[in-house]
Amino acid sequence: MPKVIRDLSDTSSYWAAVWTLCALPDVHVICDAPIGCFNLVATAVPDYTDAIPHLENITPSVIREEEVGGSGTATAVQRTYENLREAGLLDGKHAIVVSTAESEMIGSDLSDLVRQLQPGTRFFHSESLSEDEWVGRDRVLAWLWENYGSTAATQAEPGLVNIIGPTYGCFNSPADLHEVRRLIEGAGGRINMVFPMEARLADIAKLSKAQVNVVLYHEFGHTLAEALGKPWLHAPMGMSGTTAFIHKLGRLLGTEEQAAAFIKQEKQTTLQAVWDLWRGPQGDWFGTTNVGIVACGTYVDGLRAFLGDELGMPITFSASRPLRSGEMDNEKVRQQLHTAAPAFVFGSINEKIYLSEAGAKYTNFIPAAFPGPIVRRSVGTPFMGYRGAVYVLQEIVNRLYEALFNFLPVDTAYTQVRGSVNGANGTASVSQSDKPGNLPWQAEAKTLLDKALDKLPFLTRISASRELQMQIESLAFAREMVEVTPELVEEELASRFK
Amino acid sequence: MLDSMPLKPVHTEAKPCQLHPQSMCPAFGSMRILSRLEGAHPVMATDTGCLYGLTFVTHFYGARKSILAPQLGTAELMAGEVVEGTRAAIEVAAREPGCKLIPVVSLCVAETAGLPEEMLPKRVGNADVVLVRVPAYSIHSHPEAKDVALAALLRRLGDQTGQKEQKTLVLLGEVFPADPLAIDHLLRRMGVKKTITLPGRSIDDLRLAARAGALALLHPFYKETTALFRSWDIPVVGGAPVGVSGSYAWLKAVGSLLGLDPKLVSEVAEEERAKAEAMMAAQPLSGRILVTGYEGSELAYARMLVEAGAEVPYVSTSIGQDPLVLPDELWLRARGTQEVVYRKSLEDDVAALDKYPPDLVLGTTPFCSMAKARGIPAMYFTNQLASRPFFLSVGMAATLGFIRQTLERGERYQWMQDFFAEETSEEAAHA
Repeated sequence: MPKVIRDLSDTSSYWAAVWTLCALPDVHVICDAPIGCFNLVATAVPDYTDAIPHLENITPSVIREEEVGGSGTATAVQRTYENLREAGLLDGKHAIVVSTAESEMIGSDLSDLVRQLQPGTRFFHSESLSEDEWVGRDRVLAWLWENYGSTAATQAEPGLVNIIGPTYGCFNSPADLHEVRRLIEGAGGRINMVFPMEARLADIAKLSKAQVNVVLYHEFGHTLAEALGKPWLHAPMGMSGTTAFIHKLGRLLGTEEQAAAFIKQEKQTTLQAVWDLWRGPQGDWFGTTNVGIVACGTYVDGLRAFLGDELGMPITFSASRPLRSGEMDNEKVRQQLHTAAPAFVFGSINEKIYLSEAGAKYTNFIPAAFPGPIVRRSVGTPFMGYRGAVYVLQEIVNRLYEALFNFLPVDTAYTQVRGSVNGANGTASVSQSDKPGNLPWQAEAKTLLDKALDKLPFLTRISASRELQMQIESLAFAREMVEVTPELVEEELASRFK
Repeated sequence: MLDSMPLKPVHTEAKPCQLHPQSMCPAFGSMRILSRLEGAHPVMATDTGCLYGLTFVTHFYGARKSILAPQLGTAELMAGEVVEGTRAAIEVAAREPGCKLIPVVSLCVAETAGLPEEMLPKRVGNADVVLVRVPAYSIHSHPEAKDVALAALLRRLGDQTGQKEQKTLVLLGEVFPADPLAIDHLLRRMGVKKTITLPGRSIDDLRLAARAGALALLHPFYKETTALFRSWDIPVVGGAPVGVSGSYAWLKAVGSLLGLDPKLVSEVAEEERAKAEAMMAAQPLSGRILVTGYEGSELAYARMLVEAGAEVPYVSTSIGQDPLVLPDELWLRARGTQEVVYRKSLEDDVAALDKYPPDLVLGTTPFCSMAKARGIPAMYFTNQLASRPFFLSVGMAATLGFIRQTLERGERYQWMQDFFAEETSEEAAHA
């Protein structure tokens, strides 16, 4: 049986190449692409993922029918190159030609062509028909080092640290980068380069000056870190993970004391919020508030460690993108969310769609991954590091407050006058005022109701129970029934939990 | 191969300055209308990069709908599994609750590999399977892909059997939901029995459309669809109910084509014209506006703005030149528009920005960002105009009101530019 994809979570290595290379302002990418592959990667998607109007340093060869029909793309790429040069857009730039799925499909290898263009112009075969964005980013970063940096490598300077990653299209990266930078400096390091974001290709050899490399994501950057030949660490998530990271970095840099002092100070300041919430009434909810996570592996591991291991929240399910073996694919995640959605779901727009399909109004969705339109340019929303722990926890508690608010009764007199059904959860549409006492429930009807409630997140169960009971009883009154039957319960449940 | 898109070379003018063509991925146009049909579950035959991007924009602009696709990587392509994979995805789609239609959207890579229609099922379970070929390399713009998709649906689903509904009018064009209501209301007063808006949410409307009395184009890029209606002997009303003169002429044309009572039609048309004139007189525009979107409806917008008093020296669009757009082009040229550019690039628009320094830009996101960097008010045409009432006097009031308001916000744009002055001057040095 051929593999069927439902709502793809990871894009291709062509996108990875563009999103990595275009982060370097002194690079100009010529993508060997039809108009669509140019528009989507350079404008339509980064508008809504990275909150930028468009990528300015990329130009398409614009593959048309004649190129597909046999002429190949070399002429179009050469023409594009020459037009760019004439327009002065290549001045002071490294031109890099990148293949796309379509150019690979028609077998367009431009390694020879680029040699005829201005010296230094290179061809990056993105392997877009076989590799995903994560492998692609890792490969292009290593390729950049090999082609532009390795021969000019210099001595390392004590105390200098590189951060490898992010590129465009990395969820929440400004905030995470900001926090990781703060942690490195707190541990006694000085930032040498953030690569590729914030760097220039002309400076790539400088990467060799760092004593330690910090790789932001588990998904990519490790091959470059290995090639640099210095000790390297992954950026941390969760309280113990972050503490271990700072200790280790301190040891590698020879700044153990400063690192230890920083941790102590952080516990008294930044992390005090976690301690306060833990000791306060909020902490009592953690053990009964369940969570599902779909995100990049870095976030999945980090959130599991913090929310699951440290705070003791039940993790109902988690699945990484890219998929690790044995994890749930989107088809399975969709089934899970349709049958029993947890109180919180961290995910992408895919999970959000599955929750809407299921009408899972008792579940809180927290954006934690692309795809999906979201602005994450504020540096105040990290998931990584100590501040990440505080931010994620704050987000969860505030959403619990929101859930509680939504389940407090609103006097139906107001909403009925306005004919409103906006009462977020629909409770307002039920009239209690003209109800002559309680209706008896048949035992089986009660069992059905309990079973349905069991599937709902714990915190909202009491309110949901009251709401459902009211809905069903009003229906019974409307039909002049003397007791609530299982059939009636089934009917109401079917209409609500499709 | 008979079934794939014919690979005719397209004549392209050598315009060395055209580096960055402006259009959404053309295939998005098809996804937009296919994903919004109630009971339709699209299958996309393509590579992963394309699938990711198109799914993203479909989930932003189209519908909250799960999208299926066969895995088409090197392994599957080498093994020739395009058809097999697509069939498998169709099987999964057919199991979706309430699935009545499975549009199979075939994109660049699948089109290049070949996806013969006769190898796909016509029907699975309760669902019709309709192949829509929209490779970006030959469609060129997303409005035109809407046409390709709609024509493919109508060719399969349009049902001519049964009574012809002489007094039913098909309104063709994706418009703001309030527009068809306003148009329908007026037409009923003229004696029209029913209107059908395509593309819409209902599959049944597609079947019914084939028995309509006439077709009215609200947008000028539905070439294939229009030809299909003509082949069904359904006459076509040109133009669109836009602005004062456009609306009046359109109402009269509908009346005569459907054989409605001329007296009644004149009454309604004149009343509408009076309303529109009063509205234009009450809120005239002044200032220079560049209309540079990529939705294919730019000329009609320019026309309304000019009628309201604005100067529109430059109009550009992503669609190709076509007889259907010609009346608007001639109308504009006769009233001071100096350039109308089809299949435009960012470079065309930037040249116009230098040549005709405007008070307002209605354009694509890259172009608008450049205008804003110069302190000029600018709006993304797609998000701000294509999503507002536009037709007849009611739509005109909404659109003109919005334009006027934006023109008045010029100071904000100037203030913001001053605030970020260092950055913008850097950018200017960069460009």
